[in-house]
Amino acid sequence: MKKITVTSVPGFDEWREASRACLAHGIRPEHVIWQNAHSVQDDLFGHEEQTQATSNFQIKHTIPKSALALFKYALCHSDTNRFALCYRVLWRIIYENKNLIQLKTDEDIMQLYALAKAVKRDAYKMSAFLRFRELNNEGNEHFVAWYEPEHYSLEIKLDFFQTRFKNMRWSILTPYRAAHWDTETLFLEDNPDPSVVPDDDRIEKYWLTYYANIFNPARIKTNAMLNQMPKKYWKNMPETSLIDDMIKQSGARAHKMIIDGNKH
Amino acid sequence: MHDKLIQKLEILSDAAKYDASCASGSAGKRQAGKTDKAGIGSLTGGSGICHSFTPDGRCVSLLKILMTNYCIYDCHYCINRVSSNVRRARFSVKETVDLTLNFYKRNYIEGLFLSSGIVGSPDLTMESMVRIAKSLRLDHGFKGYIHLKTIPNASPELQAEAGLYADRLSINVEMPTQPSLNKYAPEKDLGAIHGAMNTLKDKITEHKVDKAHSGKRPPRFAPGGQSTQMIIGADDSNDKVILGTSVKLYSEQKLRRVYYSAFSPIPDASQVLPLKPAPLIREHRLYQADWLLRFYGFTLDEIVHDDMLDMDHDPKLAWALRNRHVFPIDLNKADKMLLLRVPGLGARTVQKILSIRRYTKLNWIDLTKMRLPLKKLKPFISVGDYSPDIHLLDSNNFELQFKQPKQIELFGA
Repeated sequence: MKKITVTSVPGFDEWREASRACLAHGIRPEHVIWQNAHSVQDDLFGHEEQTQATSNFQIKHTIPKSALALFKYALCHSDTNRFALCYRVLWRIIYENKNLIQLKTDEDIMQLYALAKAVKRDAYKMSAFLRFRELNNEGNEHFVAWYEPEHYSLEIKLDFFQTRFKNMRWSILTPYRAAHWDTETLFLEDNPDPSVVPDDDRIEKYWLTYYANIFNPARIKTNAMLNQMPKKYWKNMPETSLIDDMIKQSGARAHKMIIDGNKH
Repeated sequence: MHDKLIQKLEILSDAAKYDASCASGSAGKRQAGKTDKAGIGSLTGGSGICHSFTPDGRCVSLLKILMTNYCIYDCHYCINRVSSNVRRARFSVKETVDLTLNFYKRNYIEGLFLSSGIVGSPDLTMESMVRIAKSLRLDHGFKGYIHLKTIPNASPELQAEAGLYADRLSINVEMPTQPSLNKYAPEKDLGAIHGAMNTLKDKITEHKVDKAHSGKRPPRFAPGGQSTQMIIGADDSNDKVILGTSVKLYSEQKLRRVYYSAFSPIPDASQVLPLKPAPLIREHRLYQADWLLRFYGFTLDEIVHDDMLDMDHDPKLAWALRNRHVFPIDLNKADKMLLLRVPGLGARTVQKILSIRRYTKLNWIDLTKMRLPLKKLKPFISVGDYSPDIHLLDSNNFELQFKQPKQIELFGA
């Protein structure tokens, strides 16, 4: 048994190094135990040596690009089993079937796609639902956001935020890590302090006004809304505080439209 | 910003909500250059981000507002027609630009969708709209999405200038036929609308062709193409007439998208209008049919059997029920076009099936793993170890099993 402890999150680089080392030694997936630093616990086979996750072996295996892309997403999932799953798929691609990744009815592949899909969705929702607030900073615009992704989605979306808000100073804080951008360089900080996020923003009232008025009370489809924007996202989206009242008053507002129409 | 702005925003976003379009997609990718010291925004390619959802189930992707709801026209279905008693307001160019930028910086939106009532004259109105788009692009280096609803009677020069700054342009046809327009929108002329669409179409293709042939790049022109909207259920046009109009718009004017908006009663409505909203299910069926026409290889006659779509079944299922002799279809052998005709198989699932069967034969267990709507599929398909009971397709009460409960779900399979 070989035990590998990944100490960072999401842990892509460490996983890759360790996987290379394991492949070089020909260690089969069922002989590796993967764990996160914060989830280390004594296991039944606790008698074997701890190996550092590094390697000098340079063995070239050809892995399809599509597989690497999938690993990248899947490894940002919060599920601790992600390391073992990815290594197992890697092993099977090399020794069993180089087209394995196409076999979308294979159990491992289905699981891999499921992890990647969950991360993609989570990351997409982050780019959609994250809200910046302006920090009052003596004329220097600085935008700050607090967001709680389900997975390690910050790393997936860094490119997006850097591209879109390139000439803007911003900070995105998540429970595990913050990213600070000063228009030129990116600075990452682990376990940031959420209290630096402003409670309000001078533009938010206009956003709320817009949200309340762009909605058509004659067409209530709460389920369609909840499918796309489940309640777990609501707490950091200021406009969601209006939803209950909007739904409650919609009947009366739609009715009024018809009454007004009948007046003539 | 002054608080009068809140009032304006109330009026001018409320007035914009009758427009169905919210998409911000398909204009390609774009971002500020590596050395740009100013400017903001990007287009990610694909269909744009939905930054929020309202309780009507719609996505909020753009700041969708009217520049003004003053209007000299008297279109009966429109809340802003000159004879209506609504509160009026007008944004200045600067107010619109600032609001767009401020929303964008907070990650509320992908960009701006601007339409307007006609103030003064079509040209004066169009000119102000173009100034807003121009200021965003040139003064502020805005790289986000801009959709302008152009004014059909504005000069071709202004239409052409709009295309330089906008990602997408649209002109609403509103009604599928000229007689309906005459009745409901007396100042609008289908010929003029098609003329304006053709001008834009030529500009859009000119840009694309030049790029390919001479290597020299003409200025970008509305890379997201054109779209339009029709109001459903205000006039008495049937579904075949409506979809027939769409087919023409897609093939002749090369539109990217036709939106359908079920007529919903507006405050202070004109007497010519029906008093009740059109059923949402009709709008939903029209979108489904539109999709089948564009991406699934169906023809208009195949989809609309009578003059109206079947409200009880989605149009693909309705077609399958009328053409039972085509089924069952073998998922291991049928070509792509045939797979696309199976009720319950979407374009993505079909792609998945094609890629899997290159490596392995599909059996029933594989279908369960792919989480397909098996109950719906069952009578129409066969796979390695399964074929349906033939009597099932022939039985008289076969279609009863597909009867849907009254409530509709817009995002179902």
